This record gives sequence, C-alpha cells and structure tokens, in this order.
Amino acid sequence: MSEATAHHADTPRRRRQINLPYVGLAPAWLLMIFALIIPILIIIAVSFAVRGAYGGFDWGFDLSGYRQILFNEGWTGEMEFTPQYLIIILRTILLATVTTVLCLILAVPVAYWIAGQPGHRKSVLVFLVTLPFWMSMILRVYAWMIILGKDGPLLRFFEFFGAPSGMTFMYNDGATLAAMVYTYIPLMVLPVFASIEKLDGTLIEAAHDLYGNRWTTLRRVILPLTAPGIASGGILVFVPAFGAVLEPTLMGGGKQMMMGSLIQLQFGGGRNWPFGAAIAMILMMLVMLVLVGLALRSARNEVES
Amino acid sequence: MTKFYAATAIAMCFGSAVAAEGSLNLYVWSESIAPELIEKFSNEYDVQVNVDGYTSNEDLLTKLQAGSSGYDIASPSQHFLRIMIDAGLLENFGANTLDAYANIQEKYRNQWWDETQEYSIPIAYGSAGFSVNTDEYTGPTDSLKYFFEPEGELAGRIAMLSYPDEVVGAAQLYLGVPFCSEDPAEMKRVLDLLMAQKESVAVYSSDNIEGRMSSGEVAAHFWWDGEVVRAAAAGAPVEYAMTKEGLVGWIDSLVIPKGAQNRENAIRFIEFVSKPENATIQMNHYAHSSPMNVIEAEKKYTEENAPGLYPTVPVVMSRTCSPKAQDLVTRVWTQLLQ
Repeated sequence: MSEATAHHADTPRRRRQINLPYVGLAPAWLLMIFALIIPILIIIAVSFAVRGAYGGFDWGFDLSGYRQILFNEGWTGEMEFTPQYLIIILRTILLATVTTVLCLILAVPVAYWIAGQPGHRKSVLVFLVTLPFWMSMILRVYAWMIILGKDGPLLRFFEFFGAPSGMTFMYNDGATLAAMVYTYIPLMVLPVFASIEKLDGTLIEAAHDLYGNRWTTLRRVILPLTAPGIASGGILVFVPAFGAVLEPTLMGGGKQMMMGSLIQLQFGGGRNWPFGAAIAMILMMLVMLVLVGLALRSARNEVES
Repeated sequence: MTKFYAATAIAMCFGSAVAAEGSLNLYVWSESIAPELIEKFSNEYDVQVNVDGYTSNEDLLTKLQAGSSGYDIASPSQHFLRIMIDAGLLENFGANTLDAYANIQEKYRNQWWDETQEYSIPIAYGSAGFSVNTDEYTGPTDSLKYFFEPEGELAGRIAMLSYPDEVVGAAQLYLGVPFCSEDPAEMKRVLDLLMAQKESVAVYSSDNIEGRMSSGEVAAHFWWDGEVVRAAAAGAPVEYAMTKEGLVGWIDSLVIPKGAQNRENAIRFIEFVSKPENATIQMNHYAHSSPMNVIEAEKKYTEENAPGLYPTVPVVMSRTCSPKAQDLVTRVWTQLLQ
C-alpha cells in the first residue's frame, strides 16, 4: 500500500487529473446521451416531421406543428389566430407557479422546525417527509379523492357542523392545488431543510443582538442564506408541476386542459404527433428558460459576493 | 443479502420462460380475457401465456407501427382493425378457414372492418352511451337529450369521458351529424352542443367511473354497456340508457401482428376461445356481448338481468376518420376544454 502511494506521488499529477475524470464519468455520459440527449433529439426531429394519417409520422421538414400553436383553420375554413393553445400554456404556467409558491410557504416553516430538532428526532422527521414517495403517485391522488370526495372524512366533518348538503370539495381548482402541493412538497422541504441545517445559529443570535426583530432576521439573514436551497426546491417542484396530468384530470375534473393532457391528446386520439412534439418542445424550452434564468442569477450573485 | 436478491430476481426472470413447451404473448384490452381461459389453455397446450394490457386503441397502433412488438395476439376495435389491415400490420392467418369462423354469428361476419375475414376473429362487442344512478335520477332516459341538454336532477351532476372518441360520436348521433364529418359547419354544431352542456358537467374523466357512479357523486355518466352491467350485478343502482337516437358501437377482434413469433400458438388460442363453451366463459367474465354462438343456458348476463347488453335501439359502429375529420374532432375537444 505504502509503495503504491509512493509510486503515485512520483508520477506527474497534472496528467492524471485531466484523464481520470473523463474515464470515470463515462458511464454518466453514456447514460446522459442515451437516456436524455438522443430522446430529446428525436422529439425535435418529430416536431418537424410530417404527420402520418393514422398517428405516427414520416420523416421530413414541416413547420406546421409549430404554426398550429398559433394559427389554425377556423370554423369558416379561413386561417385565423387561435388563442386556445396559448391559454392552455399560460394556465399551466400559472398552476405550476402557484403550486411552487404554496409549497415554499408551507415548506420553509416545516424545514426550519425540523432543523431545530435534536439529532435523532431530526432524522426520523426527514424520513417521514420522504415516506409518501414510497407509494405510487396515482395511489396518493386517489387517497385525496377519498378524503375530499362524497362520503369523505372532510365533508363528513363539515356536514356535522351544519354544512349544506350537496356541498363538494372535488372537481375544482382548489382540489387540484391540494393534490399538487401534497405531491410535490417533499421536493421543497428536503433542499430547504439541507440549507437551513447548514445555517450558522450564531448569525441569528447576532441578528437579534443587533436589535433585528424576528421578521427582519428572517428577511435579512435566514432567507438570503437559505436562498440556494429555496431555489433548488423551487426548480424541483416547478418542473414536474409543469407537466402534471394526473392531478388536474382526477382532482380538477379535467374541465380545463393542461399542457400535459394536451400533449397526451395529440399523441393519442388526435393522431397528430408532430404537433404534440412541438408542444412538448415549447414546454421544454419554457422550463429551460426558467433554469437558465436562475443559473445566470446565481452566477451573478456569486461574482458579486 | 443484496446478491441473494439479485440472483433471485434474475432466476425469476428466466425461470418462468423456460418452464413450458412454447409461449404466447397477448396484448389485449386490460383485464378483458377471462383468467380462467388463460389457465385452461395454458394447461391444455402446455404453453406459457403472458398477458399485457392496454387501455386505448392508439396505444396498440403505436406499438404495432413501431414494429417487432413481440406480441402474438392483439385485440383492436373495428375502426383500428381496418387501419391495421390497410397498413399491412397484421398477419393473414386465413381466419375464414378456421372452426372459429364457423362459430361467428352471421351478422358479425365479413363486415367492413375485415370484408374477407382473413385477418381477424371477433371476440366481444358492445356499445357506449350514458348511464344513470337510479337513486339520484328517476326521470326518462330514452333520449340523448337528457344527457346533452340536462335539466333538473341532472344539471351539474353529469360526467363525461376525458377523451373525445365515443362522446363526440354520441353528440353526432343526437344532432344527426354523420360520424367523421369533414364539414366544419356540422362540427361547429357539435361544439356548440358540448359547450352548452359543459355548464352541467361535473367532471370529464375516464378513470374510476364505477366509484363515481356507485357512490352517487354524479347522477349520470357516459359509460360502456358491459361496465354498467357489471356494476349493476355488483349491486350498484345503475342503469344503461336506451336512447332512441342510437348508441355508439364497437367490436373487438383477435388478430396476429405481422411477424409474430408464435403464430401456431396464436391460432390455437383463437380457436380455443371461440369454442361455444369458452366463448360463454369469456362473456360471463367480461360482461360484454359475444359475437360467437354461445351456450344460452350458461349465460350469466341475460336479457332479463342485463338489458343493457341487448340494445333495442340502433347501434352505429364508430368509423376510422380521415385526418381532416379527426382534426375537426380534436379541435372540438380542445376548444371545449381550452
């Protein structure tokens, strides 16, 4: 062992540092190429392809997939501006944003409280936060359908206190949001918890010593120092919430389409794959914009500090 | 310990595949084939049968279009069967020379979805329409009017499917618009009808229909005949509406995808499930009608206890729409839910 170490010390270190990371990262790169980059290239190619008559596509170059997002033949047979897809896209952005904000508001106090617990209890609590992930997502949504549905415990509770019969919690935006926030909140709690845990308690004490009240301390000390955790939690929640299909259909009653269900319709019954792929590209680009924006901001912050 | 698990997992993957003489891979509608028949066939012919399920014809078409699906039998509905034959995705296995062919009821032979009946043997048929919960709604059900222009007990308490297929078809029947219309003016009328109905719709969903209907969460639901019959047999207060404008029909057939590995076993299986006694078992399991001659005395769902399966009104089979007509359907649906 000591011989080997001595030998290593003799060889020029620089050379090794250049080579090894590439070799060592090869599996990760291969995985990225086959599981991420090639599929995305295929989606890009399909979005420019010519639609097949009965689903599928033929290779070619056709922009109609993208054109259809804004312009379609109207009921009178003339090309006209059709806002419906924009409305669906904007609604999806709104839903994902509201979900992220609600998750943040609920997750920060929870994470802060967990971080303040003694060691053993802390790990139990973190474990409990991750517990829902052990179950399939669709089961969790169904559980919410039971909780909020007719004969469900919540309705029973309100009826006991004289709520009018015929009242319902299901099939509205509130129900969708409840399930969305519930599904994604662990993704927010964990990164926020990680950054709060690293927070130096003496800084908070210092803030109090300098006559900062609780609100000032939160705003000027705790939030700026936990910003990286909040940002990564925000990304982790926003990105999947953007593609959500289950919650809006099952809980919201499916009365208003989201981008996820729109894509599903185009690849399924609509039989217009290039259009579906084009919408998927738009979805991906919007997510990229958010991510790049955040990355640029944090890079700038680092330079400043 | 991990090693042990890994070894077990690997052994399980390969173990089952080598146990039997031959194998047969089915890709059929989820939970459509009676497990009893699978077991019986598997024992009788010493064949390892694997069953995978799908929940939409599009899923099946996509898989077959991608090629080398690895499946030996599939069960598309009539309009997709037509596409698959035309696209050359299916084996011509001389279905009309089989014993199974002789057992098909006259009116389901050599129809437009397979005129020569060389590619397919039908296994089940049925219809889609609306059903009501009789505890929640006591009014008339003999017209689609009550579903598309709901009043009173039904207002705000009806549910639609989350996909346009059958629902748009039913709206077309109600308005007297032909299926797969390429006329935008006609399809605009369909959209107007559905838009007006939307105010009364509680939910657009194809999942958990039985739960919503049995609990009375909604009073009427667009549904399939066999599912209504099955829910009623389980004690739910549900009834299938016989609407004078007609019902949207479908018929599923067993086919062999091109290049199937176990063609002989597939033909054996098709012959097997088409025998009168087995077709009866299949119908009793699936609760949809059988296009085969079955043993009347052993039928579980008869005209008396399952009137939904014996329509007294015209049943119109859905068609394969041209891309232009399909775009109009999709446009109706996106504008409805925009």
